[in-house]
Amino acid sequence: MAKGGTELAVRKQLPVVSGRPLAKAGLQSERVLWPDRGPGVFEREVEEIEDALLLTTVEKAVAWAQSNSMWPDTFGLACCAIEMMSIVSSRYDIARFGMERFSSSPRQADLLIVSGRVTHKMAPPLRQVYDQMLEPKWVIAMGACASSGGMFNNYTILQGVDKIVPVDIHVPGCPPRPEALMEGIVRLHEKIRGGVPPAYEIRGVAE
Amino acid sequence: MSVLPSTRIYEGTRIPQPVPTILEVDPEKHRLEDILRVNFGPNHPSTHGVLRLVVDLDGETVAGIRAVIGYLHTGFEKNMEHKSWWKSVTYAPRIDYVSFHANELLYVLAIEKLLGIEVPRRATWTRMAMAELNRIHSHLVWLGTSALELGAISLFWYCFDDRDQILDLFEMAGGTRMHTRYVQVGGIAEDLPPDFTSEARKFCESMPKSVDEYEAILDRNAIWLERTQGVGLLSSDDALALAQSGPMLRSTGVDWDLRRDMPYLAYDEVEFDVPVYCGGDVYDRYRVHMDEMRESVRIVRQCLDRLDEMDGEPWIADDRKVVLPPRHELHTSMESLIHHFKIVTEGFRVPAGEVYVAIESPRGENGCYLVSDGGARPWRVKFRAPSFAALQATATIVQGLLIADLIAAGGSLDPVMGDADR
Amino acid sequence: MTAYASVPGVVETRESFGETTLVVDPARLVEACTALRDEHGFNFLSDIAAADYLGWGEQEVAGYIGTNAGRDIHVPGSQGLARVPPPKPKRFSVSYHLLRVNDDPARLRVQVWLDDGESVASVLPVWPAADWFEREAFDMMGIRFEGHANLMRILMPEDWEGHPLRKDYPLGGEPVRFSDED
Repeated sequence: MAKGGTELAVRKQLPVVSGRPLAKAGLQSERVLWPDRGPGVFEREVEEIEDALLLTTVEKAVAWAQSNSMWPDTFGLACCAIEMMSIVSSRYDIARFGMERFSSSPRQADLLIVSGRVTHKMAPPLRQVYDQMLEPKWVIAMGACASSGGMFNNYTILQGVDKIVPVDIHVPGCPPRPEALMEGIVRLHEKIRGGVPPAYEIRGVAE
Repeated sequence: MSVLPSTRIYEGTRIPQPVPTILEVDPEKHRLEDILRVNFGPNHPSTHGVLRLVVDLDGETVAGIRAVIGYLHTGFEKNMEHKSWWKSVTYAPRIDYVSFHANELLYVLAIEKLLGIEVPRRATWTRMAMAELNRIHSHLVWLGTSALELGAISLFWYCFDDRDQILDLFEMAGGTRMHTRYVQVGGIAEDLPPDFTSEARKFCESMPKSVDEYEAILDRNAIWLERTQGVGLLSSDDALALAQSGPMLRSTGVDWDLRRDMPYLAYDEVEFDVPVYCGGDVYDRYRVHMDEMRESVRIVRQCLDRLDEMDGEPWIADDRKVVLPPRHELHTSMESLIHHFKIVTEGFRVPAGEVYVAIESPRGENGCYLVSDGGARPWRVKFRAPSFAALQATATIVQGLLIADLIAAGGSLDPVMGDADR
Repeated sequence: MTAYASVPGVVETRESFGETTLVVDPARLVEACTALRDEHGFNFLSDIAAADYLGWGEQEVAGYIGTNAGRDIHVPGSQGLARVPPPKPKRFSVSYHLLRVNDDPARLRVQVWLDDGESVASVLPVWPAADWFEREAFDMMGIRFEGHANLMRILMPEDWEGHPLRKDYPLGGEPVRFSDED
């Protein structure tokens, strides 16, 4: 099915979901699979925010630059890390989005993809790495364990990494397919270009 | 089946005293004022996960080391005690998440040993084929990430491309790329799809050529040889004393492989060789991994041939007290409906007892100690993790190494932190 | 079974599911392990597994047990009646899984039984591999090993209180909200 979707997108036979530049370029995320459905909740909300914020051209340019070359931080913890490594590989190439430069130093990273289960012992290092990142910074909670604790509702696993860091995108799955993680990344890009501020501005950062 | 005579990789023992896993700074060799304590923290560029090494450095030489683990302790064993037997199988593959099928297989073999259930041969051979594909997958991930750490970055893309082909096969059979939960108590969850063997054969044609490519890239590369030969030495006596198994043990000259020496599944009916090298360094571990990939392809080919002969046979045992009846029977048979109800709601029961089952996972001896009280839930599950044992050897193999060699040696241990921390 | 008769300290020998278990007196554990390593060739310590049997046998098992092997119509009480597994001698068992790596491979389990608060000698002098396994048993079950030079927590954070895998330690976690109420 994924193969058919990209062919359709390449031949630009998808109905144009909205007049926004992203949609014209074919980036409709999940709508690729259901071409006859209209914009989803996500697309509509981002459009509403974009209309409300009325970004200036300079801000739009900055947002375009930020989303086009976002450098992830290597925060692979468990099984999801293996799927995160596979989006770097040639089949699910993340370099198309300008994100192939995984930075081990948080000071040079924009995006923290928390991939895997976070234990209470690991939570302080995670928070420290998040604090060391420079603004603007985004967090993707990849997988069920990072989003909510996953199947491990017990004494040692943090039930959702959004207890300690503000999360922009949660990607469900155990582990999420590389395509699912890419959809999460693409949605993050759409949010940024729509003008949605990073999560720490919306939700605040716990001290 | 013999164990090679102990090879003289180094004289005596290098296991530190009094604590085998902590290398203390030797005041005779290093001035204590020169020592710098560096923390290779849980988050670091090496892709082995959340391993923390507290290293005492004298310049660039490693003078002392201590490994701190526990950053991925998930409480698998406690969680599994609270779930029915059926549901607890879902937890097992996430322990050693790179060789996920090995963990599922191990746990289900332990349950089946307690139950005394007989598994049909189609399921046994399928499990074996999947286990060997998983071995190739694990070695590809190891090679890709180890080469990445040592600077041979292009190998990462080559290995992961082949790995995607293996995951396509897993997806074809099990429905998802990783953590397929394809192994079921009594057999396998569903029959193999009809074109699985032909697709797998295509993979078996291309895989040895890929291994040849990797060897062409690395084997005569001066940098690779310089960085891996003579690094991370471990003698056979020390390896056995430190409970090393798998490629770590076979690189020290000890000819031991559970698949051949204490066979499980149908490993006594397939032909394969066990690569053993006597150098005890990172280069020999690399050679063991490469040769094992080739041997695994050989085993997979034999399994596929046998699976083609067994086409149409049952893939799961017939015991309705443990295995769900086929759905079409639920419309006509009252007993099947009751069995289905009992198994789905309460779960089947396993007789009381304790067993220890071990298999040869890509990392070494992966064992499961299972205690049942006769009820619908496990009483105690303990996994003997090969990475846990491998990391104990860190202090022994890094003596006298530079930081760069530390990375090579640490990578050659092949630790998966989910496995080490459970 | 008589193969291990010469091992000092053996209290009981059990065979089940094709495995041999030697129950050893905790006071003579190191002696027994040294004899097994030197005379019987068990040079590989696979695993040290501790188990907590608090609450064993309190829940009756009713109904059919597992497979055909569990049901024998000639044995009264093996079908359909409530059965309780035989009780265990003490609360904790520590099982040492040994492996003989040579031309005559064999597996063996050495088991000691302890009560809460009792400690057992560490087998670190016999097999250096016991280091982290014993630390894990201490961390998870609270069993102290005498003579272990570094008995610290290994999996839990070092200031953690309690021993998680004990049966009286709660699973923890949070209650999960499923509906959309605030």
